[in-house]
Amino acid sequence: MSTHDIIKQFEPQQHNLLHILHALQDANPANYLTEEALEQTARHLGVTKSSVYGVARYYTMFSLKPRGKFIIRVCASAVCELLKVNEVIEALEEELQIKIGETTKDGTFTVEQSECLGQCQEAPSMMINDKVHNNLDRGRIRKILQEYRS
Amino acid sequence: MSKQVKFTIDNKEIHAAEGANLLQVAKDNDIAIPHLCYHKKLSPTGACRLCIVKVEGQRGMVASCAIQAKEGMQVTAFDDELEEARKYLLDYLLSEHNEDHDGTYDDEFRELIFRYGLDKKEQRRFPSIWKELNYPMDETSPVLSYDAAKCIKCFRCIKACDEVQGKNVLSFTNRGITSYIIGGFDKWDESECDGCGECIQLCPTGAIVEKPHRDELRLDQKTSKVQTTCPYCGVGCQLELMVRDGKVVRSNGVEGVSPNDGRLCIKGRFGYDYVNHPDRLTTPLIKKDGKFVEASWEEALDLVARKFSEIKKHHGRKSLAGYASAKTTNEDNYLFMKLVRMVFGNNNVDYCTRLCHASTVTAMLRSLGDGAGSNSIEDYETSDCMLVTGNNMIETHPVTATFVKHAAQRNGAKIIIIDPKWTPLVKDAHIWLQPKLGTDVALLNGMLRVIVNEDLIDRDFIKNRVEGGMKSYDELKTLVEKYTPDYVEEVTGVPAHLMQEAARIYAQARQPLIATGMGYSQQVTGTHNVFCLINMMLITGQIGRDGAGLNPPRGQNNVQGVSDVGASPFTYPGYISVEDDENRRKVAKIWGVHEDELDGEKGLSTVEIMQAAYEKEIKGMYIMGENPMLTDPNLNHTEEAIRKLDFLVVQDIFHTETTPFADVILPATAFAESEGTYVNSDRRVLRVRKAVDPPGQARQDWEIVAEIARRMGKPIGNYKNESDIWDEIAQTAPIFAGISFNRLEHHGIQWPCPDKDHPGTATLFKERFNTPNGLGKLHPVDYAEQSEKASEEYPLILNTGRILYQYHSSTMSRRNKALNDFANESYVLINPADASKQGISDKQKVKVISPRGKIENITIKISEEVLPGELFMPFHYAEAPVNKLTRDELDPYSKIAPFKLSAVRIEK
Repeated sequence: MSTHDIIKQFEPQQHNLLHILHALQDANPANYLTEEALEQTARHLGVTKSSVYGVARYYTMFSLKPRGKFIIRVCASAVCELLKVNEVIEALEEELQIKIGETTKDGTFTVEQSECLGQCQEAPSMMINDKVHNNLDRGRIRKILQEYRS
Repeated sequence: MSKQVKFTIDNKEIHAAEGANLLQVAKDNDIAIPHLCYHKKLSPTGACRLCIVKVEGQRGMVASCAIQAKEGMQVTAFDDELEEARKYLLDYLLSEHNEDHDGTYDDEFRELIFRYGLDKKEQRRFPSIWKELNYPMDETSPVLSYDAAKCIKCFRCIKACDEVQGKNVLSFTNRGITSYIIGGFDKWDESECDGCGECIQLCPTGAIVEKPHRDELRLDQKTSKVQTTCPYCGVGCQLELMVRDGKVVRSNGVEGVSPNDGRLCIKGRFGYDYVNHPDRLTTPLIKKDGKFVEASWEEALDLVARKFSEIKKHHGRKSLAGYASAKTTNEDNYLFMKLVRMVFGNNNVDYCTRLCHASTVTAMLRSLGDGAGSNSIEDYETSDCMLVTGNNMIETHPVTATFVKHAAQRNGAKIIIIDPKWTPLVKDAHIWLQPKLGTDVALLNGMLRVIVNEDLIDRDFIKNRVEGGMKSYDELKTLVEKYTPDYVEEVTGVPAHLMQEAARIYAQARQPLIATGMGYSQQVTGTHNVFCLINMMLITGQIGRDGAGLNPPRGQNNVQGVSDVGASPFTYPGYISVEDDENRRKVAKIWGVHEDELDGEKGLSTVEIMQAAYEKEIKGMYIMGENPMLTDPNLNHTEEAIRKLDFLVVQDIFHTETTPFADVILPATAFAESEGTYVNSDRRVLRVRKAVDPPGQARQDWEIVAEIARRMGKPIGNYKNESDIWDEIAQTAPIFAGISFNRLEHHGIQWPCPDKDHPGTATLFKERFNTPNGLGKLHPVDYAEQSEKASEEYPLILNTGRILYQYHSSTMSRRNKALNDFANESYVLINPADASKQGISDKQKVKVISPRGKIENITIKISEEVLPGELFMPFHYAEAPVNKLTRDELDPYSKIAPFKLSAVRIEK
């Protein structure tokens, strides 16, 4: 579906802004919002560019830069911190050869940090797209990444 | 009036309206509670927390900007704990802040830093961290720059854009300490920002500052400030000009004064560069052997006087004519009119009103007895329905439009737009009716029929206030019977249900205002269009009370005033007919001449003067501050007419398209060099004050006019100053009788103001109309097809008009970098369907050709703003003189020319 067709599914009402942005980002294989998408959204809703851009940049779930097919969000809560989430991050960076905030060269993975994922009982945790992965350690990470790679 | 309450702040007894904002009440009572995010024009934000107070019975400290005045409150504004908390908050803000200050802006934050002793580093608790935060800077806008490191995120700019200007261009991005303000997608120049600068004016810290003249701006003792009236459109915004070294370096809106309460548009804020432009005329010029050579005032004035006298002697007193100027003051125009009547000895004086609202004024005079707007500009804000006809007010009267947007955005007022072309106000409109060009009478008669058939009329109003009562209503009823919804839809292209809904909303509104513009007036049927509007207004009784009526916003700063002071072929000062013998006797006495010396026969109007020049009946012309070689219709014909004149004098501030045809050019003053008054669109007489000296030998217009009269052997008065001239105007025009310069010192006064104790009149026609019998008059008129039609040879209909960034013939506006940065090229709008039919692509250069002329190298803009079969071009650009294409077939009543409708074709 084209950007135009996605946007047209929603009534031109301001409360649809977040829904539209999610739909647009989800439909983009590179997992981000293009300037053209933001512009068309603003035009459809009859609002100015900045009011769309401000919202898109406020929420960490939205990206304005191309990202990987899979977004890994590592929990940055205090509990994960205590249970050595730093080792999880190290493992991810090693495995993927990228730093937090970056995307692998093949465009498969992007690593980000997230506010608390609410999985403290099984920390440390991360999400890959919509799926939560708990009780992480180096071994599990390698295995999980393998699953996504294949 | 709301209920008054009594309470105390720091034991001081305070009286205020119940519910008033506590912080504002404190300020009004000289209790200086510190604050940064609050501004009286904006809704309270409560972001800076500096205005904290304690209220007896409430826990803790509360932001006074968020508290309403209540009976018996006991407020503590200052104690050690509050002051300590404020200091802590300021200190905290300071740590994220770049403290550099270049002395070019008022810095409220810096003032507080000093007030709380935080200028001393040892007083501070927090280290400075702003450098580590990597705040961005946005310098992309042509008119302003934004520095996030100087921003305290008070949101005043966002609210200035949103709540004051109704534009919503700004927002913020990121979160917490790293958040900052953005325009567009974080690039100001690609945003919808139109450069009005409201955000600059309300920024408390210098985070948003203007770009023009930054290197010259200094807020030190060498700077003076002068309050005056904006020289562009007819809103009459009050400006404060900042002057340094004899040069205007900043223009701000004056807060708290009508009509603009500090608001400006880009022209008012950044359009003053032309005053100091090197192209200014600085010395009189006489054409010798086809070339202009510099001359002394003596030589030039003697020549002008001699030539005019000779023409009068040889060809009779009807052989001279003058164009007065909507740009110059009432005083200038009054003396100009006096020169024509008393010295030329005829009534051949007119000006550009004939090209803009003459038809509106004619219809209003015939139906209502007054040609001016019936209400105040601020009434738009409280109206519940605005019928906006042929009026692109966001671009032509941007500050008036702010009131209209407030009504729609805040109060849910319904805007109904009738316009063949999209205008930005459509975004705020409830209904947009898009009739084909030239079909307005049919559309309005259709609306009248809906009102009649659904019995939405006001019988009492018709019986008591309309001439002929229900009998004349019945005539209208019979006439509109044939305008059935189907027929109207067929003629106009407007869907019947929208037309019907619009009629119902207008008729049933509590307080509707009609704002009618050039789209309605500049047609062969201009007067008929406005007759229809007035018919609708009279049968529904939607006039004659506060906030209900008809308002034509005037296009130039002083269009209203020039008519008011009598620079008209038909009327003396105060709209009294030139054929009124008694008034002529009265005026002759004031002028000290015998009444027979004043011609009792109507003179020629603007386009008629040109036609008479073409016929060699007019031999000599005096043009003050007008540029007919760009603004008159059918320019090729105008040029032939001007070439036939024996003698032409042009008085202006720049060379124009007209000056090459002059025999003598006289240099005049610009607005910032002049003293006097303008009258704005809501009949408000406003002071114009001199801020800087004129360049070279330029003189104020009235002084030049008076000198010419003297040298023609007929002095027109000995005036010490502009106030003297005004007093004579007040004597001749009863509408101004009670107004004098000292009453205008702080604010304008709306006419009529019959005596010195009269406060002025905000609303016209409350008791009676200004017609001889005091009654309004219906003028039922039928739709007639336009004589100019699309044909095989000329298949498209061209509409013309204005844009925000340029002004009239651009003589002034195009000499401002800021305005040109936004829009410096003409274009023609064409519907995508027509473009593809002709195989034309966007940005392609084309020729536009009408039966009258041709213009070339025009850039195509493909846009759905115009209907298929129609085009639009702005008329400002001299290199794309659209009036070579327009017609001089005139509206028979008002003599206005139909700038809005010309058959043309486009060639690649």
